[in-house]
Amino acid sequence: MKRSRAMLYFVLVILIPLTLYLGIRLPGRSYYLLSALVAVEVLTPFFMTFEKRKPAPRELATVAVMSAFVTIARVGVPIPSFKPTFAVILLSGIAFGPETGFVVGAMGALGSDFFYGQGPFTPWQMMAYGVMGLLGGLAFREGSPLKRKNIVMAVFCFTATVLVVGPLLDTSSVFITISVLSWENILPLYISGFPVNLTQGVCCFLTLMLFGEAILEKLERVKLQYGMMEDTDGV
Amino acid sequence: MERDRFSRCHPSVTFAFFIVAIGLGAMIMHPAYIIVSGIAASSYYCLIKGYRGLKLLVLSVPLFIFITLFNPLVNHQGQRILAYVFGRPYTFEAMVYGMAVAGMLIVMLLWAGCFNHVMTSDRFMVLFGGLIPTLSMLLTMILRLVPNMMRKTAQIAGARKAIGRGVGEDDPMKKKASDSMNVASSLLSWSLEGGAVTADAMKARGYGAGKRSSYEIIRFTPSDLVMAVGMIMLFTAVVMLIAKGGTAAEYTPVMNITPIGSSGLPGFAAYGIFLMLPTIMHLVEDLQWRISRSGI
Amino acid sequence: MAHFEIRDLNFLYASAKGRKSLEGVDLTIEKGQYVVVCGKSGSGKTTLLRHLKPVLTPAGKRSGKILFNGKDIGELTDREQAELIGYVMQDPDDQIVTDKVWHELAFGLESLGCDQKTMRARVSEMACYFGIQNWFHRDVTELSGGQKQLLNLASVMAMHPQVLILDEPTSQLDPIAASDFLDTVRKINLELGTTVIITEHRLEDILPYADRAVVMDSGRIIEDDVPSNIGRELYLKGNEMFHAMPTPVRSFYLCEGQGECPLTVRDGRGWLDREFPQGAPVRSLPEKEPVYAPDDIVLSMKEVWFRYGRDLPDILTGVSCEIPKGVIYAIVGGNGSGKSTTLKAMCGINRAYRGKVEIFGKKIDKYKSSELFDHCMAMLPQDPKSLFVKKSVREELEEMSKDEARINEVASLCEITSLMDSHPYDLSGGEQQRAALAKVLLTEPRILLLDEPTKGLDSFFKETFAGILSDLKKQGITVVMVSHDVEFCARYSDMVSMFFDGQIITTDSPKRFFGNNSFYTTAANRMSRHIFDMAVSIEDVVELYRLNRGGDRS
Repeated sequence: MKRSRAMLYFVLVILIPLTLYLGIRLPGRSYYLLSALVAVEVLTPFFMTFEKRKPAPRELATVAVMSAFVTIARVGVPIPSFKPTFAVILLSGIAFGPETGFVVGAMGALGSDFFYGQGPFTPWQMMAYGVMGLLGGLAFREGSPLKRKNIVMAVFCFTATVLVVGPLLDTSSVFITISVLSWENILPLYISGFPVNLTQGVCCFLTLMLFGEAILEKLERVKLQYGMMEDTDGV
Repeated sequence: MERDRFSRCHPSVTFAFFIVAIGLGAMIMHPAYIIVSGIAASSYYCLIKGYRGLKLLVLSVPLFIFITLFNPLVNHQGQRILAYVFGRPYTFEAMVYGMAVAGMLIVMLLWAGCFNHVMTSDRFMVLFGGLIPTLSMLLTMILRLVPNMMRKTAQIAGARKAIGRGVGEDDPMKKKASDSMNVASSLLSWSLEGGAVTADAMKARGYGAGKRSSYEIIRFTPSDLVMAVGMIMLFTAVVMLIAKGGTAAEYTPVMNITPIGSSGLPGFAAYGIFLMLPTIMHLVEDLQWRISRSGI
Repeated sequence: MAHFEIRDLNFLYASAKGRKSLEGVDLTIEKGQYVVVCGKSGSGKTTLLRHLKPVLTPAGKRSGKILFNGKDIGELTDREQAELIGYVMQDPDDQIVTDKVWHELAFGLESLGCDQKTMRARVSEMACYFGIQNWFHRDVTELSGGQKQLLNLASVMAMHPQVLILDEPTSQLDPIAASDFLDTVRKINLELGTTVIITEHRLEDILPYADRAVVMDSGRIIEDDVPSNIGRELYLKGNEMFHAMPTPVRSFYLCEGQGECPLTVRDGRGWLDREFPQGAPVRSLPEKEPVYAPDDIVLSMKEVWFRYGRDLPDILTGVSCEIPKGVIYAIVGGNGSGKSTTLKAMCGINRAYRGKVEIFGKKIDKYKSSELFDHCMAMLPQDPKSLFVKKSVREELEEMSKDEARINEVASLCEITSLMDSHPYDLSGGEQQRAALAKVLLTEPRILLLDEPTKGLDSFFKETFAGILSDLKKQGITVVMVSHDVEFCARYSDMVSMFFDGQIITTDSPKRFFGNNSFYTTAANRMSRHIFDMAVSIEDVVELYRLNRGGDRS
C-alpha cells in the first residue's frame, strides 16, 4: 500500500510534469502523443500495484466478472450514451476499494474496446473509467462521512460523471482533434460533450437509485464468503 | 479469419509498427508526410477489408471537409483573410491547417482500423503475457466472460419472459427499467457465483503456485527478426530527419513548410517505405501465390 | 504403498451447526484403481473428494489423517498438488479460465512455469490424445458443453497427474456427450494407469468398469466393495441408494436372482436367458387405459416452422402435436434437434413464421403477453439459476405473489418450506430447481412447460420432482417437458413424442413408444425385450418375472 502510494505521488508530481515539459519542446503538434503518454503514466502505478500484489484466484475471478460486467453494460445496452457503465464501476470501487476499483474500470474499458474497436482514445478511456472506480473507493471508504445509501451513491455518481469522468473523456477528443490549444477552441468540445455526459449521469443516477444497495449487497456477499481482498494467502 | 502476411508476423513486430505509425502520424504535420501515411494506411486498409474499406474512405470525405471548414471558425490567425464570419477573420492559413488536422485524424482512424484487424486479443496476450502476467490473465478472463455473460443475459431474459416477468416493448418506462435491472442483477449473482468455480479451477491447476510462464502460440521467427531490424533502420532514418527539423511545418500565423529537398529525401523515403511495409508484404504474397498456382 | 490412505477423517463445515459432513471415514485407494464414490446429494461425496485436493479443501473443523503416497497430504506444496492431483468439477463452463482453447490447455503448465519446449510438446500431445487439434485455435465460447468438459479434462491431464478426481463431471451434459466423456476417462485409466476417483449419477455407464464402489450416506462410508457385490448389500439393508443402482442390478435383486449380479445390459440379458431358456410363457402385461380424455386439447401446434434469423436454417420444419388436458407429455430426441426451440415456440417466445399454435383453442397471437403468462402457461428453464434475482428463497417467491398463504402452499408442494430463508445460491442443484419451480408455479399456470427438468439431478431428487409433477397433474395442470432422460420419461409421462429433424415423428404411450424402439429405449426394455414384450420399466420386468415364476411353482 505504502509503496504504491509513493509510486503514485512520483508519477503525479514528477513524471507527468516532466513529460509535459519535455513534450512541449518536441517539434510539431504532439498534444496527442503527450496526452496518451500521460494516460499511460497514470495507469502504470495502479497496474503495477495490482500486478505485484498477485491477487488470489478468487479476487482475480471477481475482478474479471466486474470488468466483464462493465463491458456488458457498455456493449450490451442498446441505447446510445444511456449506459450504466459508470454506476457499475463506482459500485466496484465502493465494494473492493479504490485501487481494485480503478483496475475494474480500466480493464472494463479495455475489454469493451475489444468489441467496439481500439483507437487512439483507448488509453484515455481506460484512465477515465479507472478514475470513477478510484473516486468511488476513496469517497465511500470505511469511516467516510458519505453513507452507502442509494441516494448518496446516485448523487455522487451523477456528479462525478458530469464533472470529472465525462470531461476527462472529452479531453481525449480535445487532444485528438484540436489544432491549437486555447480556451476558445476547447470550450465548444466540452460543451458539445455535456449532453452526452448528462444522459450518462442520469442513467447512472437512476441505476443506483433503484438498485445501488441491492447490487452492493451482492458484492459484499462475495467478499464475506471468501474473505476476499483481505487475506493474502488466497485460501 | 485468414490472416495476411503482415498480420501473421510476431505481435511484437506488428505492435511496434502501429505504435510508430500512429505516433508519428499524430506528430508530423508536414503535408507530404500526412499524404504518404494516408496512402499507406488506406491501401492496406482496403486490402484487408475489401469493399468495406472503400466505404470508410468515402465516409471520411465529409469529415475531412467539415474539419477543414470548421477550423478557421475557431482559429483566426493567418494573413490571407478570405472572409469575416461573425466579425472574426476566416483565413486561408487556418483552412489549410484544418486540412492537415483532418488528414491526421483520418489517417489515425485508418491505422486504428488496421490495428484492430491485426492485433486480435490472442496476439495482445502473446505480447503482454510474459510482461504483465496477472493483468494479461485478467484480460483473457474478461474476454471469456463477456460472450458467456451475453448468453446468460439472453437466457435470463427468456426465462423471465416465460413466467410473465419479461421486459415488454409496450410497458411503461419505469417497469421496463426495473425489469431490465432485474435481469442485470440476476446476471451479476450468477456470474459472481461462477467466478468462485473459476477460481477453484485456477487453484486446482496451480495458479499462484510459482512464477508463471507464458505459452507462446506465435513464435518469433527469423523473418520477424529481419522485419524488426529493417523497421529499426527505417525508423532511425526518420527520427534523424525529425531531429534536424526536416519534417517541421507551421501553418498559422505564417505558413512555413520545410521543403523536402535532397537532404530530406532519404528520411522521407524511409518513412514511406516503413508505412508501406504491410501493403508491400500483402501484394508480394499475392503475387507469389499467383505464380506458384500458374506453375502447377 | 497405497496412493491415498484416509484414517478416521471427521469434518465439520465452519458455517454448519451440529451434523458433521464427514464422520469416521476410512478409505484406502491403491495406485491405478478406478473408484466410484456414490451417495445421495448431501451425503458428503464432494466434501470427501475436496479433502483429497488440499487447495480445494473447505474451511472447518477437521480431525484424522490423509496420506498421499505415504506422506501427509498437507505437506504437499501448491506446486506438487497441482501437478500430481488433477481435479475436474461439475460445471463445464465456469471451470474454463481463458478465452482460447490453446490457452486453456496450456494454463496449468504456465502456472508451473514450464519452458516453451515442454509446453509445446505437452499441449500438442494432449490436443492429439483428446482429439482437440481441430478446434485448437477456437474461442471457448464456440464449443459445445461436451467439448468444454473434454477441454477441462485435457487441460488437467496436460500436467500429467497421478490421480484424477472427477466430481460429477457429466451432470450438465447430454447422454451422448456424457458417455463419450466417461469413455475417455476409462481410456485414461486403462492406457495411462492414472488413478481415477469419480462421483457420478450415471452409474450404469461407469459401474461395470470400476474396480471399486464406495457408497456414502450422511458423511459415512457404508459400503466399500467390488461393484458386483455392492447392490446386494444395499438391497439387503434396504438402503435408499439401491434405487440409484443400474437397471440390471436392481432387476436382479428385486427378482431375487441367484449367482453373479449382472452390471451391464448384456449380462442382464444373459441372466434372463439362463432363467428362461425356453422363453417366458407370459410375455406381456395387460395394457392400462389412458387416464386422459383425448378430445380435450389444451395446446395444439399445426405445421409450425421456425428459424432464428432470415438467413439461418429452419429449426422447426412443420411441427404438429395435440396435447390433451391433464397429461404429462414428454418430447424426447437427440441433442440440438430443436426440442427446446419447440418448447419456446409453444409459449410464443419463438414466433413461428408459418403454421399455428393454439392455447386453449385460441391462437397464440391473440394473447397479450401479460395474459399468456398469467394463469395460463409458464416455463421452467433448463438452468434454475436464470430465475434467481433476490437474496433469499422467500423474497424470490414474494417477487411473484403477495399472497402469503399461496406462497406457503406452493412452497410446501415443492418441499422447500425449510429452505425459505436460505440464499438461492446456497442450495443444492435439486433444491434450486424446486425453488425455481415454486416461482414458476406462483403464476398459477394451467400448462407447465419444462426444459430438461432432470438435468443434473440425482435419482432421489428426480423422484421427489416426479412426485411434485403427479400432484400437479391431480390439480389438472398439463405438463409438457422436453428431455434427454429416457428412463424418467418412460416412468412418469403419459404420452411420449419423438422429435427428429425439426419435426415430431411419432407420439404414443410410453409403453408402446419405448416398447417398440430397440435403441432409443430404457435399459429395462433393452435387457428384457428378447424374453418379454413391452417391459419398459424395472417394475414391469419384475412383475413379469414373478408372473412366470409363480406359474412354475403352481
